[in-house]
Amino acid sequence: MHDAALAFHRRIDAALADGALRRALALTTGRLARGRTDAFAAMPDAEACRTEARRIRAHTIAHLDRYLDEFTRAAEARGGRIHWAETAADATRIVTDIARRHGITLAVKSKSMVTEEIELNAALEQAGVRVVETDLGEFVVQLAADRPSHIIAPIVHLSRGDVARLFQEKLGAGQDDVADIPAMTAFARRTLRSEFLDAGMGISGVNLAVAETGSLCIVTNEGNGRLTTSLPRLHVAILGLERIVPTAADLAVVLTLLARSATGQALSVYTNVITGPRRRGPGAGPEAGGEPDGPEELHIVIVDNGRSRLLGGELAEILYCVRCGACLNACPVYRHIGGHAYGSVYPGPVGSVVTPGLMGLDDWSEVAQASSLCGACRDVCPVRIDLPHLLLKLREQAARRKLAPLWLRLAMPLYSAVATRPALYRRLGSIAAWLARAVERDGWIRQLPGPFAAWSASRDFPAPAAQSFVQQHEARGVVTGAAS
Amino acid sequence: MTASARDRIMASVRDGLLRAVLPDATADRAGRWEPPAQVPPREVLVDQFSRTLAALTGHVHRAATATEAADIVIGVAAAHGAASCLSWGDEHLGCPGLLSLLAARGLARVTYEMSGDSVERGRTAHDVGRVDLGLTGAHAALADSGAIVLVCGPGRGRLASLLPPIHVAIVSERRMWPALPALVQAEPGLLDAGSNVVVVAGPSRTADIEMTLTHGVHGPKHVHVILVP
Repeated sequence: MHDAALAFHRRIDAALADGALRRALALTTGRLARGRTDAFAAMPDAEACRTEARRIRAHTIAHLDRYLDEFTRAAEARGGRIHWAETAADATRIVTDIARRHGITLAVKSKSMVTEEIELNAALEQAGVRVVETDLGEFVVQLAADRPSHIIAPIVHLSRGDVARLFQEKLGAGQDDVADIPAMTAFARRTLRSEFLDAGMGISGVNLAVAETGSLCIVTNEGNGRLTTSLPRLHVAILGLERIVPTAADLAVVLTLLARSATGQALSVYTNVITGPRRRGPGAGPEAGGEPDGPEELHIVIVDNGRSRLLGGELAEILYCVRCGACLNACPVYRHIGGHAYGSVYPGPVGSVVTPGLMGLDDWSEVAQASSLCGACRDVCPVRIDLPHLLLKLREQAARRKLAPLWLRLAMPLYSAVATRPALYRRLGSIAAWLARAVERDGWIRQLPGPFAAWSASRDFPAPAAQSFVQQHEARGVVTGAAS
Repeated sequence: MTASARDRIMASVRDGLLRAVLPDATADRAGRWEPPAQVPPREVLVDQFSRTLAALTGHVHRAATATEAADIVIGVAAAHGAASCLSWGDEHLGCPGLLSLLAARGLARVTYEMSGDSVERGRTAHDVGRVDLGLTGAHAALADSGAIVLVCGPGRGRLASLLPPIHVAIVSERRMWPALPALVQAEPGLLDAGSNVVVVAGPSRTADIEMTLTHGVHGPKHVHVILVP
């Protein structure tokens, strides 16, 4: 195994050995998945809505150049300033330049996966800007110098005790401040409120942008997304270039599914739509007829960072994704190992496609193996992305580029040679069954010898029956295709 | 520099589109799905809205007149010890005369105008941040989510529904819609009506710590909706 794969397996082993993590994962993913199931059951036309949402996303991606063009024109017409970033480094440079130009020392930030992807916080800190994460979970992650472990529930992996300790150690919280979860939440509100009021810059991601009006939709439950985009003088929005829908009506369709898929809510608490910066009246002061608040400047940074390359290939369907996180909660692998084990900002089934898609297969071929291809992710995806198919495509690409383990690259052609020759298959099958019965204990095979040891370490098989299926079938006197 | 980055990204997107594998992509414009054509009677929607918002720990009141609405607002303010309110202009509350009724009963309105200057702005934000109650109208209400739609703009500041721990919103029962898609299809220009349009479904909440639902993390902890005719 190469280094990346070994590191991946070490992280998986560590996650599986962590009992507290596994209990927390079971609780969180179970509750979110049930919430989703109930929300869809209560929606009579859910399947028609999913079909339409898929069509909207597919259509938009298929005409992405046109919609990007329409979006940027509309946003600029309403006073937004557009910046284009080919790489993560370009994106962070653009944002730090804006901060420097305006003498920003404090920025508040609402939760955003793309800013994690481009590692924006580190770049801003280096430029002398203090960045404060304001989503409660992300705030805790930042205090702990940790990483989020779930797209929408970033601190699945931490307990209330962990959070209490962090608040006491890093922020000097008293006993009363951490007495229970509501007290800790109130403490975070007080701490973060003053940051909001003082910050010169608000940084957000974008859930979906609307091409026809140049609008940005930012969804939160806490309200930090609204504070981030309303209080500071500057709002900088980071937009992954694929996160566009054509019209407001299309946005409404996708929103109908987004929160239901994520948490089971009909809508998130705050569905915040930003269209340009604050609209000034013709004069000055409260009587001038302008808006009394909102940012003076809106900067939209459109980030490519591998997306357009991903578009030109067999994985392009992953760009339909609206980042609801439903596939994480449904995935039997994610539910056991959690987000950190994947080693990427984007975990779970979607992450196993997005990460190698954006960062390249060389270091990330192994995550596509972390799936049983059961299809639960595809079943819950609001836009029905065929994730198992994309994971198979990645495995195929890895094999073609000789990134798959050597034994697998040798074994698969051998298997294919045997499986396409029925007589040989049956003869070897009966030998294998005879060998398997030799290592069976109490009707189960728990450990295979030699080169199969690692593979069988996490797999138990029932011992093969004394007679093969075909033999049993023939014994019943049924004429089978194979026998004729 | 920026222009060329744009050109390179667009070229890369166009190049990608030549080879992209995009199942179910269609050439025509999306938007064929229609929300259910049959809209339930208003009473049914109002009932659904009230139950849904209550389940989100929001409170629903009904007021036939401005005086009744004022009673409700004063009651909420008294319960929380609020002495002043951050309010939209009277003409935007959908309840004419309400602000003067409230002023007469001792609930003063705080007005503000954010400055373009950072320091000035911070000072205003801290002052406005001390107000206990926010009062707004609402453009529409959505029955399926218990949400209200706020179109912020002149005389309709964002902060009234955002900074105070209590948010009281007034919405006409005639503005009740079954769900967001129906409203947006009927009013396609809605999103562009101001720099900020927000759909609010109940009080601010989080479940980040151990999946324990907690209210009032950043936005208002208490949301009251007054339905008027």
